[in-house]
Amino acid sequence: MLPKQDVVTPVSLSMNPYSGPWTKAEAAHLLKRTLFGPTNQQILDAVSNGLNATVTALLQTPVIDQPLAYDPAETIVPMGSTWVTAVYPANATQAQLVENARIKSLGAWMLKRLNTEQTTISEKICLFWHNHFGATAGNDSRGTYNYLMTIRQHSLGNVKQLVKDITIDPNMLLFLNGGTNNVFSPNENYARELLELFTIGKGPQIGPGDYSNYTEDDVAAGAKILTGYYIDGLRSATLPSPVPVYNAILHDATTKQLSYHFGNVTVANNNANEYSDYIDIIFQQNEVANYICKKLYRYFVNYDLTADVETNVIPVMAQTMITNNYDVLPVLDELFKSEHFYDVSLRGSIVRGPLEMLMGMMNPTESVPNYTLTINSDLYLTIYALAEGMGQAYAAPPSVAGWPVYYQSPAFTQLWINSTTIKSRFDYSAAFTILTGIPAGSNFFKVNALGFVDGLSSPSDAIQVIDDICDVFFPKSIDAAQKLVLKAILTNGLQDFEWTLQYNDYLGNPGNTTFSDPVKIRIQLVLNRVFKMPEFQTI
Amino acid sequence: MKRRSFVKNVSLASVAGPIAMKGLNFQAISKKLFEPSKMAEDRVLVIIRMNGGNDGLNTVIPIDQYDNLVIQRSNVIVPEPSILSITPEVGLHPVLTGMKNLFDNGKQSIIQNVGYPEQNRSHFRSMDIWTSGSMDVNETRGWLGRHFDNEYPNYPSAYPSATYPDPFAISMGNELSATCQGLMANFSHAVNDPTVNYNLTGSAVNDGTYFGSHMEHISTIINQTNLYGDQINTAAAAGNTLSTLYDAANPVAVYLRYVAQMISGGLKTKVYILNVNGFDTHDGQVLATDSTAGAHANLIKMISDAVNAFQDDLNLLGLEQQVAGMTFSEFGRQIASNASLGTDHGDAAPMFLFGSCINSGIIGPNPIIPNAIDNQVGLPMQIDFRDVYASILKDWFEVDPIDIQPLFEQTINYINVLGACNLGLAENAKDDDGILIYPNPATSNSTLKIETLNERVKIEVFDLNGRSVLLICDKQFNQGTHHIPCETIDLKAGEYIVKVFKSSGIQSTKFSKIR
Repeated sequence: MLPKQDVVTPVSLSMNPYSGPWTKAEAAHLLKRTLFGPTNQQILDAVSNGLNATVTALLQTPVIDQPLAYDPAETIVPMGSTWVTAVYPANATQAQLVENARIKSLGAWMLKRLNTEQTTISEKICLFWHNHFGATAGNDSRGTYNYLMTIRQHSLGNVKQLVKDITIDPNMLLFLNGGTNNVFSPNENYARELLELFTIGKGPQIGPGDYSNYTEDDVAAGAKILTGYYIDGLRSATLPSPVPVYNAILHDATTKQLSYHFGNVTVANNNANEYSDYIDIIFQQNEVANYICKKLYRYFVNYDLTADVETNVIPVMAQTMITNNYDVLPVLDELFKSEHFYDVSLRGSIVRGPLEMLMGMMNPTESVPNYTLTINSDLYLTIYALAEGMGQAYAAPPSVAGWPVYYQSPAFTQLWINSTTIKSRFDYSAAFTILTGIPAGSNFFKVNALGFVDGLSSPSDAIQVIDDICDVFFPKSIDAAQKLVLKAILTNGLQDFEWTLQYNDYLGNPGNTTFSDPVKIRIQLVLNRVFKMPEFQTI
Repeated sequence: MKRRSFVKNVSLASVAGPIAMKGLNFQAISKKLFEPSKMAEDRVLVIIRMNGGNDGLNTVIPIDQYDNLVIQRSNVIVPEPSILSITPEVGLHPVLTGMKNLFDNGKQSIIQNVGYPEQNRSHFRSMDIWTSGSMDVNETRGWLGRHFDNEYPNYPSAYPSATYPDPFAISMGNELSATCQGLMANFSHAVNDPTVNYNLTGSAVNDGTYFGSHMEHISTIINQTNLYGDQINTAAAAGNTLSTLYDAANPVAVYLRYVAQMISGGLKTKVYILNVNGFDTHDGQVLATDSTAGAHANLIKMISDAVNAFQDDLNLLGLEQQVAGMTFSEFGRQIASNASLGTDHGDAAPMFLFGSCINSGIIGPNPIIPNAIDNQVGLPMQIDFRDVYASILKDWFEVDPIDIQPLFEQTINYINVLGACNLGLAENAKDDDGILIYPNPATSNSTLKIETLNERVKIEVFDLNGRSVLLICDKQFNQGTHHIPCETIDLKAGEYIVKVFKSSGIQSTKFSKIR
């Protein structure tokens, strides 16, 4: 084999509104980047609604259910109701047992969110910010819930406000030690990541302790600025949630000097609001918009920030962000309507992460568990563990920088695939389709093969079934020979009309497994093959 | 890999030295044909990454600085009587009984104050520097990846092959190691359990787009997974493991046991990499009630116990001379602790080497701990980690220094770390009855630890040409262990051999003088 050749780089770098064809291919591209896995019908709806209306509808944050108690170890609230503002038992051992129940409920809730997402970008953008801030679940699930909801609240809103709220969020105060950062013993953990990862980003080291955009002294000054907060109410038997508390005695009241990167400004004592003043100063640097827009680009468009992209695309995004005072929505609105976003060279440029792979099997097939609350929750936890085994545990990124696939050059999202994880992907593909399924109480959960095929454009037409499957699961069309292989699995090697007859028999005999089982099995076999194809591993 | 990166890497390499564009294939091939070095070919390096920044000062404790350590970090320092002393000046954290055992048996060395100039305190950047072995932000390859690129060109396309049926490196777990990132692919193969069977199918063509490069990557992984998987299964089935010291609840021990099993089963993999997370101990590093226990103690004990069991196993399997290991972390932590029973990102830290072929002992002097707290201060680096890497390549894999220098951006200063089993160096090999020079490399003065009978002893330093350069002493000793000051301050920088002539025999060891 020859060395890898030039990658075809985008033809269009224009951020002007896209005005080309609006077909299933373009609509599917948009939905695959903004959802965890669109159905065929969602793609068709996007085609008929048009680009602008689809983007507008995607950029919304719907209301979601709260996590519900289901494990009997939850002794404070009744089963089936939420615990997110409930106290803990006063006894520490009892409190731990309750927390064990709550973290399970929370974990199930995270996966349920992804599995039952509406046609909005909400879950994708929440995962983006979750990766951006990188905090893991704390030891009080109410705090973890609140942290995730703070992200959700601002996920399409104002970045500056998001950073401010996260800065004094108890889960973050716990994760990066802001809650023990005080005048007597400054802890610079949060102050460092605030600059390095959350806002302005770290540039090359251009001098001793000078990282292009800030200095070590800025980190130290930032730590002083942020002093004074501690966390109250962790696992409290009286307070409904952990809260940040400001205590002036713990705050460093001196005037802090920032470096030339921030215009050598000083930050005067402003007690509980000083952190907010500091974040305002950081956000005065346009590099913040650049840094965040690059991360958005990598997450939604392509890992490869070519020189052309840095010259033509990122500055436009950043300018839109600055013009809108750091609101995210206008940036995404412009991006998803741009010529560049629909450039064909970018189709399939992202390797699915474990959650995108698992939800990529479940969501397009409308496979949503419909058992009891307990069984559903335990099943979601099982799926959580499958994702964790492949390297992506929600609320537990491997470090504060998030998952390496979003920053680790040169492989980026290819890092998801290695000899261990590819085997897992193959195993789970089979488990969800042709094998017994994922245990769910006394049942086994598999993809909803019949529901899936029923929802396709023309389920009795074998050629159309395969075409729809390709639209739904692959980022670009596959060649005719590959389609024939898939169709041969569907028809079991017979002529196409045999499938038509079989499908129509099933339709004509509702509830009769004699007719439905063969249809189900053919679809399961096709999906088993599809999920193991390299093409499926990308979006 | 897209062309831009390819070009970038090549130009970088060309600037650094003749590594990529010179007759790379020719050189690698000619080396294989004309300089067969069977021994080095069979050698295995085990790397344990302590991810998060290990608190070196609570791992290897400079006992002679204890009073000042108490000033700096009273809430995390372990009580002085609990320290496991390995020399009068150097001690180990009390949970490191496994490492002490190895040290006492000449199977462990400690390199003190390892780092690089202008330490970067970002986990991510610093880990990139440690895994790439380069401070150049544009270096995307790992230090072993660069070495493998030279040795095995056209990876991954041409591999596995009849000559090289086994993966060159194995990352234990689900993630590949950045240390092994090569130009076109990562040389490491992820193995969670070597007994699991693989039988995957699937391939797709590269259409030249980003998507196409993913298709090629995934197809290659599927193919390699099957081929390498078969080799690994075969080795695991043929392999053995004999030590009873492994703790099944210790994940590092479980992985090292698998490594022993694969090596004993004949797998020709050269590098195994393990990752241990959790060293970012900003808080709760120790228990409030017991500074010898807590998160950090648990982590280092896990590694210490596992390595001790692994070394025991290698001994029982007769593989000790084939395997060496090292640990690294992206940085140490600050001298002063914080109020959260933790420590913040610092600078230099110790590295551990283990195996029966290491030059055992303590390399480098104790850090000096000031008696006044100055926030944010870490330990200054004294030994460049890239010198350690280069020395491992030279001593262990017997790579020609002509090929090593271009892998690194700074002039290599070799340290005698792993040459104890090399042919021709037998007389310089460490022995097992207690001769030890420390610090090594020496900067000004060193100390020689010897054990004697009631006998006359002459101690003399020679250069590598065999010329005597320094007489340290020639006198009568009483029976026992002696720590003899060696005034090496006037020696030029370089490598030396110190010989101990006793009526009971001659012992010698090698040391380096720096600056």
